[in-house]
Amino acid sequence: MRTYSREHMAYLTAIRNHRRGVRLSRAFVLILFVSLWELGARLNWFDVFILSCPSRVMAAIGRLWGEGSLFLHVGVTLYETMMGFLLGTGLGILLAVILWWLPFVNEVMDPYLVVLNALPKIALGPVLIVWIGAGMGSIIVMAVLISLVVTTVTVLSGFTAAAAEKQFLMRTLGASKGQTFMKVVLPAGVPHMMSALKISVGMSWVGVIVGEYLVSKSGLGYLIVYGGQVFKLDLVMASVVILCVLAALMYGGVAMLEKRFQK
Amino acid sequence: MDGALLSVEHVSVYYHTPQGETEAVRDLSFQVRKGEFVAVVGPSGCGKTTMLSLIMGLNPPSKGQVRFPLGPCPMGYMLQRDNLLEWRTLEKNAVLGLEVQHRLTDASRERTVALLRKYGLGDFLSHRPSQLSGGMRQKAALIRTLALAPELLLLDEPFSALDYQTRLTLADEVFAIIRQEGKTALLVTHDIGEAVSMADRVLIFSDRPATLKREIILDFPKDMTPLIRREEPAFQEYFAAIWKEMQQ
Repeated sequence: MRTYSREHMAYLTAIRNHRRGVRLSRAFVLILFVSLWELGARLNWFDVFILSCPSRVMAAIGRLWGEGSLFLHVGVTLYETMMGFLLGTGLGILLAVILWWLPFVNEVMDPYLVVLNALPKIALGPVLIVWIGAGMGSIIVMAVLISLVVTTVTVLSGFTAAAAEKQFLMRTLGASKGQTFMKVVLPAGVPHMMSALKISVGMSWVGVIVGEYLVSKSGLGYLIVYGGQVFKLDLVMASVVILCVLAALMYGGVAMLEKRFQK
Repeated sequence: MDGALLSVEHVSVYYHTPQGETEAVRDLSFQVRKGEFVAVVGPSGCGKTTMLSLIMGLNPPSKGQVRFPLGPCPMGYMLQRDNLLEWRTLEKNAVLGLEVQHRLTDASRERTVALLRKYGLGDFLSHRPSQLSGGMRQKAALIRTLALAPELLLLDEPFSALDYQTRLTLADEVFAIIRQEGKTALLVTHDIGEAVSMADRVLIFSDRPATLKREIILDFPKDMTPLIRREEPAFQEYFAAIWKEMQQ
């Protein structure tokens, strides 16, 4: 244990206090929001039927649990999202590798990628339902489409940006294209792949929920649409809250993966 | 010239772009003897780097030829920036070339590590490049090149990305390393002082298209280091002569 000067100790304490302050304030914002929401409902500041309130949301979650359907809905949505995410990023990275490898194909495909990237993939929903059928398949394909294009574009830009000079260095060392890819381009692209993963986690959730809006008999998206149609706003809010938690957990998982790769 | 390791003969290089044709190098001829340290100076963008990749065999000349009269000559290229790979340790960076050429054996690895140790990087074998200073990184880049046991070293402005003080001390070290390892070197630079302090012979190139304007043979004692050369009266004279030639 090293001893520091008094000034440095004060500096360290200030940093610790600052971090603690941020953490406490974050928790405070959440507590304030939930309390005001609940309080407002109790004091009839607004109509609970329209805005619901934390206690009714918890009750709705409890009911789903009691019916035994909570895990069904969560499971279905989670499965679809994971599939969409894994397939979307996997295929997206693969596509980026192919396009890096074949510059001519890359140049040819460029405008198509730009359009595909700009296109709201949701517009393809009805088409997917006709082609694939009204079921889980369409939902997963929707999630894949949404995360695939953005992954390809992000990862490819990472590959092409991978320092032209380092690639020249590999040439002077007598490296083949494959070696240059494996030893320089791919490792240099890891940070881009990580940010692509982060984007596509969110994208997969969008794809799945939209897919479930269009066609589904279970899942959180289904619960939201159903709740909206029969004016069970408690159910809608409960599903959104569960979604928040799941999305945060999945994002946290990717962030952890990123940390491991950064070492 | 007899005993030339490298012979560049009437070489011309054209660059082709949709806007037209640019002549980068025109009818260039010179030789480098084994064990010699030759510096090439010329204005920025005069085609010096083009010439190096030509010698390296990465691009063919439009006219003329590059010959190696003493037989095939293994070459090493040192760039302006070290380009060490951040995800590799210093040791793994140094053996990158060996790895790529499938020449990484216990013996070649040991030789490379021995080089790193010999030139003051022994304590940093498992460090990441970002943990080292600019001068150490550039020295590591030189050893990455030396690991491949090249006969001829092509140095493409290897010190210009460094701060002044590091540049001077590293030039001294690199000079010593090249002498000790008995390598032939062709240094490209726009820094006249660097050329005069390191080389046996300076080739002055014209602005693009690069042609050989003049050759100046530097007469310093063989073992005089770059830093000491800079203090010699002759240094200023050579410097002035080259400066004048480049201004014309």
